[in-house]
Amino acid sequence: MISPRIDRHTKIILQGISGRAGRLHSRLMREYGTNLVGGVAPPKQDIHDINGIPLYPDCASAVAATGAAVSVALVGAYDLLDAMKEAVAAGIKMIVTPTEGMPVHDALQAKRLTQEAGVLWIGGSTPGMAIAEEVKLGFLPDVSLKSGHLGLMSKSGTLSYESGFRLAQHGVGTSVWIGVGGDPVKGARYSDLVPFYAADAQTHALLIIGEIGGHDEEDFAAALIAQKFSKPVFALIAGRTAPEGVAMGHAGALTYGSHGGYAAKRTALVAAGVTVFDSLNAMVDGVAKHML
Amino acid sequence: MYLLEHDAKGLLAQHGVAVPNGALLSDKTTVASLPPGPWIVKGQITAGGRGKSGLIKKANTIDEVNTLIGRIIGQEAKGRTVRSVRVEQQVTGASEAYISLLLDPAEAGIRVIIAEQGGMEIESLPPSALLAATAAPNTAALHALIDQLTANIADPMRSALRLAGQALTGAFLAYEALLIEINPLFVLPDGRWIAGDAKFVTDDSTLPRQPAQRALLSHGPDKTPEPSYLETALKDTHGCDYVVVDPAGEIALLTTGAGLSMMLIDEMRAAGLKPYNFLDIRSGGLRGETIRLINVLKWMHQGPQVKVLLINIFAGITELGEFSELLVSALRAVPEFKVPVVARLVGNGMETARGVLQAAGITLHNDLDHALAEVRTHLGSTL
Repeated sequence: MISPRIDRHTKIILQGISGRAGRLHSRLMREYGTNLVGGVAPPKQDIHDINGIPLYPDCASAVAATGAAVSVALVGAYDLLDAMKEAVAAGIKMIVTPTEGMPVHDALQAKRLTQEAGVLWIGGSTPGMAIAEEVKLGFLPDVSLKSGHLGLMSKSGTLSYESGFRLAQHGVGTSVWIGVGGDPVKGARYSDLVPFYAADAQTHALLIIGEIGGHDEEDFAAALIAQKFSKPVFALIAGRTAPEGVAMGHAGALTYGSHGGYAAKRTALVAAGVTVFDSLNAMVDGVAKHML
Repeated sequence: MYLLEHDAKGLLAQHGVAVPNGALLSDKTTVASLPPGPWIVKGQITAGGRGKSGLIKKANTIDEVNTLIGRIIGQEAKGRTVRSVRVEQQVTGASEAYISLLLDPAEAGIRVIIAEQGGMEIESLPPSALLAATAAPNTAALHALIDQLTANIADPMRSALRLAGQALTGAFLAYEALLIEINPLFVLPDGRWIAGDAKFVTDDSTLPRQPAQRALLSHGPDKTPEPSYLETALKDTHGCDYVVVDPAGEIALLTTGAGLSMMLIDEMRAAGLKPYNFLDIRSGGLRGETIRLINVLKWMHQGPQVKVLLINIFAGITELGEFSELLVSALRAVPEFKVPVVARLVGNGMETARGVLQAAGITLHNDLDHALAEVRTHLGSTL
């Protein structure tokens, strides 16, 4: 699997660059330093670039012309599976999909497709990923991005923005920030990225920002134990008081019966040696105390 | 969304899943409107554990049915009010088995769980009693898995579980379900099988291409929303997530982002405050229009105990000056919602936002703790 430790030289293409989000975020990503070398959009007469980024009619020609192996797809929820198929067929090795609302059965197909092709999929419903002060793929706000040694993985966008912002105010920066996303079936899960963070020399400790629903946090805890992960791990889990049976904004944040509840996640994480915080303030203080 | 049992059975029956004859009732009834008894009267809510909550009872006479209807409707369980009951024929002389299909996010497949003994909660069965494995999300792989899991079970149980599994496979794939659980699955000595109960969780993101599921969200020509699916209906119609988490809540929340909004509610409750609602307004999707803000302010106004409005927006991208203009216009458009407004905004365009809000008499906070302190002041002054 390709390493998510990319840099400002990594060539990146943007699928769906001519849409509203594509136009805005291609500009913001490029301003941050991301090396966007091509955009995929339906051909239109006399339009050859957007924000100075050359356009290609499909992924295959974008990859052939630029040599890019990383893609960000900003397309509609019902077009995402096809966009991912196109990217994988074109030889893309890492794809970030911020789109919200991809049907879960489409996500099952997308996950099998990327797994079989050895492609690293980050998403869906992710704000993206970033190596702070180097490169970002997606929407992560610049005010929350400070370079440092805390690995960060999050299901939630906004809760990670708030966390990153407050940590940065306290002088704590991040090494590799990956929004794994809020969908129930996703590409890389926390547990899949444990070997990467274990090996990453710039990562001295790890923070996961989780929420109720699914088993990602429990599986992450099991992976820490199985792989004897030796760096300190912190966690913040949202949805402790959420009602059962109602998805709270994220499709993945749906609990039913004992499935996906807060207590099981907390117990599993604590048993794996993770420090679990109950509030943002406590998390920021605790992590800052450890990192500084 | 988590379907009411009655709706779940309606959808499953269309895919060859046998269910007991029954009717949905919201008031007392007559023998004529029911299948022959004896009956089982089942309160309908979108959560499990109904038996333990006293919402499922047997009845032998129509008088008993009506007594139970009177007793069960209006009950509160799991934070929900029972508005209807499904009255169906009791199934007698059957064994009770268990079968479910659910997502396996780790394996990118569909997990099938089967047990010869059902009827009780699956968590209370010993793991050795469960037959479970994951298959690729397609008909052939799932049928092969079900054959394999049931290979060592004796008939008629084996054939019943196989046929039920095949019907459920069809339903699960066609409806793009997240979970379908039949517990108990009644198996009769002659091999016939009937779904005694049905837990069915659907994927809200499929609504535009799942008309049968979308049809459950409202009733009648004037599209009256079904109260059990209010959250999904609001999202489907208005593009934002809104959930009343405490009808007696005092603090209305105008927030963006699912994770941060959930965390805020957790922290407020831990601090003894009473939030009224969860909201992910999706500030990036307002597109210069006030309509979504006006709608949510009107919904918040329906909270009888709401005493203050807290706005918490951490905007990665949204321009806060523009957002503040929209907010002030929306507040003006809902003058009946007369509560103090506390605003905490972080992001681009903060200084413009400060000026816009100040002109409308609203102080902009950067620090959430300071905003919560102002919320407490307002609550204190209105108590």
